[in-house]
Formats: sequence, structure tokens, C-alpha cells
Amino acid sequence: MAGQGPSRRELLQALTLASAASTFSGFSRWSFAFAESSTQHHHGVASPAMVNPVYRPQFFSPSQYRTVDLLAELILPAVPPAVEAASPKPQPGAREAGVAEFIDFMVFSDATLQTPFRDGLQWLDRASAPAADFVSLTAFQQNALLERLAYKAKQQESEKAGQQFFLLFRKYTVMGFYTTRVGLESLDYPGLTFYATSPGCTHAGNPEHAGL
Amino acid sequence: MQTYDVVVIGTGAGGGMVIKTLCEAGLKVCALNAGRQAVPAKDFRQHRMPYDLKFRGFGSPAQRAISIGYMDNEYVAPDAWEHDIAYSTGEGTRWTWPRSNLVGGKTNFWGRSSARMSEIDFKAASRDGYDVDWPVSYQDIAPYYTRVEELIGVASTVQNRPSNPDGKYLPPIRFRCLDYILEAGARKVGVPYLPDRIAQLTQPYQGHPPCHYCGNCTEGCDVGAFFSSPYFLLPLAHATGNLELRTNAIARQVLVDGEGKAKGVAYVDRTNRQEVEVYGRAVVVAASCISTAQIMLNSRSPRWPTGIANSSGQVGRNLCDHMYGTAGFGYLPQLLGQPSFPDNVSAATVAWLPRWQNLDNPRQENFIRGYSFYPGGGCDEFPSYYNDIEGFGASYRAEIKRRYPTPVSFTVQAPSQRSEKNFVDIDPVKKDIFGTPQVRVHFQWDENTFKMWEHAKQVSEQLFRSMGGVYQGHGEPESPGWSLHETGTCRMGNDPKHFVTNRFGQTHDVPNLYVADASVFLNCTDKTTTLSILAFALRTSEYMTTQFKAGAHTSQAPNQG
Repeated sequence: MAGQGPSRRELLQALTLASAASTFSGFSRWSFAFAESSTQHHHGVASPAMVNPVYRPQFFSPSQYRTVDLLAELILPAVPPAVEAASPKPQPGAREAGVAEFIDFMVFSDATLQTPFRDGLQWLDRASAPAADFVSLTAFQQNALLERLAYKAKQQESEKAGQQFFLLFRKYTVMGFYTTRVGLESLDYPGLTFYATSPGCTHAGNPEHAGL
Repeated sequence: MQTYDVVVIGTGAGGGMVIKTLCEAGLKVCALNAGRQAVPAKDFRQHRMPYDLKFRGFGSPAQRAISIGYMDNEYVAPDAWEHDIAYSTGEGTRWTWPRSNLVGGKTNFWGRSSARMSEIDFKAASRDGYDVDWPVSYQDIAPYYTRVEELIGVASTVQNRPSNPDGKYLPPIRFRCLDYILEAGARKVGVPYLPDRIAQLTQPYQGHPPCHYCGNCTEGCDVGAFFSSPYFLLPLAHATGNLELRTNAIARQVLVDGEGKAKGVAYVDRTNRQEVEVYGRAVVVAASCISTAQIMLNSRSPRWPTGIANSSGQVGRNLCDHMYGTAGFGYLPQLLGQPSFPDNVSAATVAWLPRWQNLDNPRQENFIRGYSFYPGGGCDEFPSYYNDIEGFGASYRAEIKRRYPTPVSFTVQAPSQRSEKNFVDIDPVKKDIFGTPQVRVHFQWDENTFKMWEHAKQVSEQLFRSMGGVYQGHGEPESPGWSLHETGTCRMGNDPKHFVTNRFGQTHDVPNLYVADASVFLNCTDKTTTLSILAFALRTSEYMTTQFKAGAHTSQAPNQG
């Protein structure tokens, strides 16, 4: 926290994202309201409609972007009703939630993420040999490769870089998914709403909540 | 040139209370606030869904690089927290300093926990022999606590605990499933688990709307359902017609006349960096602990060469703070797969575990004094436990959902003890961008606080075991300053040689200069500071009005000296 001063202010101006955002064509799957210009009280009010039917990646190449979109969907896929107990209908996954757009925007906006993501995607394509790249693998092979990175019991010492990339990518997938309407609905997120009185426990007579 | 009756520096809990009281007593007040007026509907975005924010609430890289803590985020206006006024730290000191200079200061965003201090706190030195007693008894302060609680509305229950005197409370916030499980576990361990004292309205109160339990209180409440100076104090002051509020006015020094009495304040206008002087018959400094000391130490004059009202050398000394940290975290298997529940409706201060250590015997533990715990958990806005789960795919998703209601953690609130090593002074070289010599903080946690931390970690593990939870580990103490509960740079006491102010907050050296924030407190306790700041500031400002009525503080003229 020490060392704040004029130089930090100048730095801030150099880092500001306003110029980048002003040329930005917009997301196809989610939109942000510029909160500065809005004064309305937001309980249960729908967010502004999406503005752009086709998302144009800002950071990733078209082929990298295809991989990002596929990986995100493999990590948080659309699922049938049975998987999440409270949901009576199929639940959309990362693709429907626009997670690839979020990841592209975050990586585009944050220089410290760019090398790890670029190198990680390259690692994944190399590990897919003899196939040309990760997206060319069969679904079975893609799953097997990811399992090698994700599960301690299957991890290999020589694939540390891939394991690290998997955790980084999963982190941004989770961040991108559970901050969308689709993701929050999949959790039945109960906050940011209006309760007339404080909601209390309904398990009277079972304070330890045994055997629910 | 106008001379006000009183110039007040700061509009937070302390300043706000002084301003209200003095204005209602008919005194003309000029209040200086270092930042701008907040516009709650615009600046506080606590009702935004994350997808309404550009970076989904995680903040831009530029914002994350300068953010000073969890409240300094994409959900509040970027200038809600101070980033422009620089400060220094002594060698080896890590000091995180969340400052809000919006009108109302940190009361816009505070945690709202509002327990009274007790005789056990005020007479702690007599009990255990460390340091000195406060120059007040609980009986002196109790009536002010009562009036503050009546003014702001505090929800809790009567609990009959020796270290926690009861007040008059609004109905408590209801216990959630996790509270009942934790309460049952705490009972087995033998520690208290009780509704917190929380300045959050559980019913309509004196024209203020009740809480609507949306969560995210620490991002500011745009309906004013918990106490803050701008919602509860300043409107009453404005209504008298006696208040002039100057915003973006960064106080630099207290001006003195030829006799060394306060005659006003010099401040920097943040918008154009020009210095402006404002004059008053008395001055109140309530800029919060460290800034108050900075202003007084920078107020050097031939009469006060080491800073105003500092003949004791104690201005800036005796800095104390609360150590915060996650003493234990894990989850409750009982709640795996349960339907989502609005656990986060009051931002996790439904309950607390108030100090239970060293109450009967002040030397019962291997540390003196005591600490308290705040439990948190349940369904949050973001499944931050996602990294505890292995894998990917449908099973990973299902496990995130299954774990959603179950996380629990304990935040420790452990006071540091007064130490010669912990103080603030003025950096001999560096100035901030406004040309004011920077304040420099020197602070280390003491051994006693670390013993509390170790104790708290053990108790957390016991609690997890006894409540049938899965204990996963503990965090590390946050850096000093993070709690925003600093105290003690202008301690009050009867002896002018050792204390800066008398027991009313009036400086011993300069009778028309007062301090009305946590600077006057002798030390941190296991309780938060805001309720006590309000009570002491009410007492100070009523003492001031009696001084004015008795004819004191009438002699200054602006251009004298």
C-alpha cells in the first residue's frame, strides 16, 4: 500500500480500459449495463437485452477461440434434469452462458493472463498429437486427456504445465459461468431479492439438522 | 470573513454525531469532508447482478491492482475508497488502510455490529495489571449508549453476559439453518453463540425503512436500512439550518492564534488543490484515528512545535487494531444437497460468538483480555469453494450445487494491546499529491494477539468437530489495518502529561480543540468501535454545548495572531 503518488495516477491513465471498451463490438451472450449511467433500483428487473448476435473475439484467434469454447463446455456442460437436484428441466452449460466470451474479454483485458492462456492452449494442442489439435480429438480422447490433468490419481509428473493450465482455465470457466443468469439459476441463487422479514430456518425441532 | 461556532473535520460516526448535536443545540457548524457527497442510487450497486457489471464484479485489472480490500470493488463507485492521498509505512510494517472519504465515511459500508463496551473493558487494567484504565466507567457511558441505540436502531436480544451489557433492541434477525447447527456445536464446546448486536433495522424505525435482506450490505445500502451518518445524522443537522458542509475539503492543519488556541482549519480543495482557511471558535477533529493524528501532528506552530495539543508527546502513539483472519473453515455435511436458502441476507452478521475468555478470572488463559468470533457461511453469491472439488463435467457441476448450502467459516476479531512500537508519525520527506506531509504508520501484531489467534484456531477446530462439520483448515491473519478498527492515537485520560484529551475528548493543551473519534479510546476490545464512537462523540458534543453556554470558546477572532 505504500508508494502511492503521482506516478500511480499516470500509470492508471495508461492502464485504463475505457479506450478498449469504446471500440468493443459487444457480447452476444451477456451484456453489462454501465452502472454509472443508471439510477434505477434493480430488484428482479431484467438486465438489458443482449446487443450483438455474433461475438468477435478480442484476444484469441478463431481456432484458439473454438478450443476455449469447447473446453469451457467440457468443464461445465449442459446437463439433464437429474444432475442438479432442484432443477426440473435440462440445465444449459458454459456454451449457452457465453463463458468463452467472458474468458476472451478477461484475457484481453489483463496482460498477465495472456501468456498463460496462450501457452496453455498450445500445450493442449501438442498433448493431442498425433491429432492436429485438441478439437480434432474424439470426445472420448478429449475426456481422457482432461482426466489426466484434473484427477490426482491420474496425473503425470511430466504434465505439470498442463495441470496448471487446467486449473487456471477451470477457474475462469467457473467465474464466467456462475456470474451469469444461467449459472446463478443453476444454483437457485437466493440473494439479491426482496424479503419482507428475515428468512429463518424452517426445521423447527431439529436444530442439529440430522437426517435431512 | 465569517467565523463559525465550530469547525468539524470529518462526517463519519464521530463527526456526524458531533455535527448533529451541535447544530441541534443552535451552534453554527462548518463541516469539512475530504471527499464528495455520495449518491446512493448511483454509487452503491449492491442490487446489481454480477452480469450487469463489466467485469462481473471481479473488477478490472486496473481496479484490482489498487483495490484495498473486499469493499473496494466493482460494486461501488471507483472513488468511494481513497486512492489519492498517499501514506507511508515504517520499516517492516504492512498496513492496509481502507479509507472512505465519501460524506459519512466508513459508515456507508460498515459491518454494523454494535455491541456496547463494558466495565470489564473500561477497567481491564485494574483486572489484569496491563496498561491503564479508561478514565470513564460503564455507568458514565451507559446513558449515551442507550440514546445512540434509540437513535440508530439495533437488532439483538437480551443476553445477560458480563462483558456485553444489554440495551434496548429491535427484534433480532432470525437464525438460519447453519446458525442452529453452529449453536448446537458451540453449546457442546461451552462457548456462546448468540444473535449479534446489529445496527440493521428489522422493522420500520423512525422514518427509516426496514432491511429487505438483499445481502451485500457492505457495498452500501441505497435505501438506508442500516445506520450511516448520511442517512441518520446529517439530515437532522441540515434540517436545523445551522450546517454548512464543505465537500472535497481535505483538512491539512488546525490554525492557531497567538496564544496557541485553535482558530480554524486550513484545508486543501481536492478539486483544484488550492488551500482554503475556515475559522471557528472551536475545532473538532474526527477524521478517524490515523488521519486525526496526521492533522494534529502537521499542525505545527511556534506554540506547538511538535504538533497541536501534543505537549505529552502522545499524539499518534498507542495505535491499536483488530486482528482479523479466518481461524477455521470447512463445511456442514448435514446440509449437502439441501435446497438453496438465503443465508447471505444480512451479509453474514446474523450471529456472533462474543468474548468468553478471561471473564471470571482475568488471567485464566495464556493471553490477557479476549477476542470474539463472527461465523459466516451458507449460500453465497459465488461458489468460492470450487477449487476444493476435483474434476470437471457433469459430476463437477453436481458437486458444486450439492456443496452450495454447506460452507462455514469463523472470522476472529482479536484486539492488539497498547505498545510503544505501534504509532504513527509524519514522514520526514514524502508529501502526497496535495503537498501535505504524509502520515507514516508503524505497526506489528503483538505476542498477546498471536496467542489469541492460536487459541481461536483450536476453538474453530473443536467447533467443527462438535457440530458435525468437516474442518478444512484456517487462513492467516490479515495485515494490520484491514479491520478498519484502529484506535488510540489521542488517548483520553486525566493526566495531561500522559494523555492528549481529558475524559470528554477536550484536549488538555488547547481547551477549544476536541477529538471525537476512536483516537481517544485507550485500546481495542473484542467489540467493534462504531457504537462506542457514537456514544463518546455524543458525550463530547454535549459537553461542548455546555462549555459554549458557560461562555467558553467565545474569544477567538479570525485574524487575531
